Amino acid sequence: MLNLLSEQIKDSKEPLQIVGRESKLKTSTNKKLSIADYQGIVSYQASELVITVKAGTSLQELQQVLASKNQMLSFEPPDYGNSSIGGTYACALSGSAQAFRGSLRDFVLGIKIINGEGKILSFGGQMMKNVAGYDVARLLVGSKGSLAVIAEMSFKVLPKVTEATYSIEMLEDDAIILMNKWAATALPLSACAYYQGKFYYRLFGKHDKQQAEEVDNKIWQTLNPFQTTEKEFLWRASVPSTTKKIANTVAIDCCGNRRWIVSEHKPDLAYVEKWEKGLAISKSVKHPAQIKIEQGLKKVFDPHGVYHNKL
Amino acid sequence: MLKVINDLLHNLPTGILITDKEQSVVFECDGLSAYRQLPLAVALPTNIEQIKTILTICRKYNTPIVTRGAGTGLSGGALPLEKGILLVLSKLNKILTIDPLQRIAEVEVGVRNIQISQAADCYNLYYAPDPSSQIACTIGGNVAENSGGVHCLKYGLTVNNVLAVKILTIEGELLEFNQSQQGIDLLALINGSEGLLGIIIEVTVKLLPKPPKAQLIMAGFADIVECANAVTNIIEQGIIPAGLEMMDKFAIEAAEAFVKIGYPLDAEALLLCELDGDETQVRVDIEKVSQILKAAQATSITVSTNEKHRLDLWQGRKSAFPAIGRLSPDYYCMDGTIPRNKLAEVLAKMAELSEIYNLRVANVFHAGDGNLHPLILYDANKEGELEKTEEFGQKILELCIEVGGTITGEHGVGVEKLDSMCSQFTAPELETFHGIKKVFDQQELLNPGKAVPTLNRCAELGKMHVHNNQLPFPELERF
Ligand SMILES: Cc1cc2nc3c(=O)[nH]c(=O)nc-3n(C[C@H](O)[C@H](O)[C@H](O)COP(=O)(O)OP(=O)(O)OC[C@H]3O[C@@H](n4cnc5c(N)ncnc54)[C@H](O)[C@@H]3O)c2cc1C
Ligand SMILES: Cc1cc2nc3c(=O)[nH]c(=O)nc-3n(C[C@H](O)[C@H](O)[C@H](O)COP(=O)(O)OP(=O)(O)OC[C@H]3O[C@@H](n4cnc5c(N)ncnc54)[C@H](O)[C@@H]3O)c2cc1C
Repeated sequence: MLNLLSEQIKDSKEPLQIVGRESKLKTSTNKKLSIADYQGIVSYQASELVITVKAGTSLQELQQVLASKNQMLSFEPPDYGNSSIGGTYACALSGSAQAFRGSLRDFVLGIKIINGEGKILSFGGQMMKNVAGYDVARLLVGSKGSLAVIAEMSFKVLPKVTEATYSIEMLEDDAIILMNKWAATALPLSACAYYQGKFYYRLFGKHDKQQAEEVDNKIWQTLNPFQTTEKEFLWRASVPSTTKKIANTVAIDCCGNRRWIVSEHKPDLAYVEKWEKGLAISKSVKHPAQIKIEQGLKKVFDPHGVYHNKL
Repeated sequence: MLKVINDLLHNLPTGILITDKEQSVVFECDGLSAYRQLPLAVALPTNIEQIKTILTICRKYNTPIVTRGAGTGLSGGALPLEKGILLVLSKLNKILTIDPLQRIAEVEVGVRNIQISQAADCYNLYYAPDPSSQIACTIGGNVAENSGGVHCLKYGLTVNNVLAVKILTIEGELLEFNQSQQGIDLLALINGSEGLLGIIIEVTVKLLPKPPKAQLIMAGFADIVECANAVTNIIEQGIIPAGLEMMDKFAIEAAEAFVKIGYPLDAEALLLCELDGDETQVRVDIEKVSQILKAAQATSITVSTNEKHRLDLWQGRKSAFPAIGRLSPDYYCMDGTIPRNKLAEVLAKMAELSEIYNLRVANVFHAGDGNLHPLILYDANKEGELEKTEEFGQKILELCIEVGGTITGEHGVGVEKLDSMCSQFTAPELETFHGIKKVFDQQELLNPGKAVPTLNRCAELGKMHVHNNQLPFPELERF
């Protein structure tokens, strides 16, 4: 199938829109290059903590395979039923645990890609440590179908942990301080948030009884990513974790690093994107020299501009 | 005098540029000391403006620049170029902020790895990646090599612990790449870029709370395969130790003779497994690991009784290189990484090769993540022994690639592993690397010729069939 895709890319006379399971991109009129049928686990050895998977595999299937060996994807990718792992990789989607366990890119070991010339290339591998050559595998996390087809990925996986979520009513600023203070202790935290007047935290493994109300772990799905029915726009901001209360914030996640803001106007913050239906549709401003670098890299991977998506 | 030197002298404050051979000589090599080269001049800037000046002048004269931190690298990455400037950043050594609430440290690039943990200690925080060279190596060198350490199985490599970097491009543009930026991951690209893409100026790292308890469990095995299997079993049981290190008989004997802390001399292999976390968790894990080790036929099991005992037991492993160094005039340190489950197979093949080449090899390695450090013992003064050692080394790396591994887990390619890169990557993959380099550095002035071999070199090598005498043999610096 990869060779088939490769031929399609080589022969293409018009720009191609890479799609996974298309949980998002319904609007594009471009010719599609679908990876959805490239599915399945390439190899999985639980004792190696490594899984290699084809890009079209659904998150659900991947997670089931891991669960059967009592393991998990530690970066908690959000799943609304039909996301592919390739799309998740291309969109760099990670969840609430990232402040403690890391985000998707932290678990990447290697990839197989098809570049804009239809060449099948491999970078990284299945080892925990590998510093031969530039880290192209991690570079492409968040590339959103603009540089190459991500065909296969190897991830580091970890033993599944049992977790429990607790909540305490408190003021937003107090919660921000508290989550940061706790993160500096040995408390086995895996997520901290603030939502609707309550500080939420999640613990894993064995720990003492908490002086807080135990709540359903599902709260983390509501927060990641946040969706709203309000008329104003939804913004996702990345800020220093200790940043005090920001006006119009509807939820705080990732131990203070991530703020969901509902407002008509763009909040005046360095890293903020507009979000719709669970995905960023605008970007924060970048330095011109950085834009030049990114455009240069686009040319390296896709010299003829076969892939329609912009960086 | 060369125009470029003249220009630099004119435009930099006195004392920044060293052109004197006697003073430059300490910079002629890094930790891979068999490769030596004096640069045109050594620059020791104290601020960013001076670096920008150096960049402007070097661009003007097309003069290459090799960036250097502390020069502890083991692959010749910081080896000067004859017609280039060596840019030493050890004077950019200020810790800019430690923010205990946010749990981050912002440091200049010449700050030594250990200094960060020392500065954070009063808040009960630390910087997790701990290369054995941590008292000397700089955070800039760590980022450039994506260095690992004994604890990276649980806490990750440098790339997993760096939140932001500021770099100067060859054009003199100051850019920040951080984890908050959307889109492709340029921060990750800088990690492990071996000084070829930009000059790292500042680094923001994650600080972690110090685990309240750490305990070490040491087990001897009568068979190295049983030891390797024990490693797999521990991880299969869902335990991620803070450190999981293995030594073979030769390494055990050398270390014990050196530090005398009671390593089991009758064992064929030794496993050191550190568990950390809160008291209860550590107690539970130690119990579990002990059971696993017993079931895996361990011949002896020692659990550290207190902090001093724990550190003592580590001492043997940590001094393994110098300990082995005492036994031989020269040794050559390899850095291949393999899938963990191939450990036993690779070790057996390595033993066979050792007999064929009639060269002794000691093995110490980060078993948890399959990163091997075989040390080949040789004598550079013996006729032909260098060549034999090199061939043996190449065979080990080929073996690593064969079983799905890599030629370097943490030491980088530098000048040393350029040839092996040809075996690991295809031509279009190498072309991609060259393409990336050119995006950042069109004129190819930053550390040119390192880390990625030219396609010509690989082609020639193919014809030559991996036999080149031109490379001298490394004797490692011992810290
Ligand atoms: C909480 C949440 C809620 C969501 N809600 C909705 C919703 O209500 N409606 C909706 O339409 N979507 C929604 N999405 C978006 C969708 O789930 C994500 O796009 C998904 O994670 C990506 O997987 P996919 O297979 O659907 O990718 P696609 O939607 O097909 O593609 C997403 C992006 O990734 C790129 N891409 C995909 N696969 C590859 C590959 N193999 N190689 C290179 N690039 C690739 C595409 O070019 C595109 O830019 C939601 C996402 C989240 C996280
Ligand atoms: C005894 C000993 C033990 C070691 N143990 C380990 C270990 O456990 N794990 C491990 O990973 N490594 C280990 N190393 C290797 C070495 O210490 C690491 O690679 C270290 O990160 C190098 O840091 P440095 O400051 O000495 O860098 P240098 O050797 O000066 O430079 C290394 C490379 O980084 C580039 N570079 C340096 N600074 C910058 C900068 N500011 N901007 C851009 N590029 C830059 C240089 O050009 C060069 O390519 C060990 C070395 C020794 C001698």
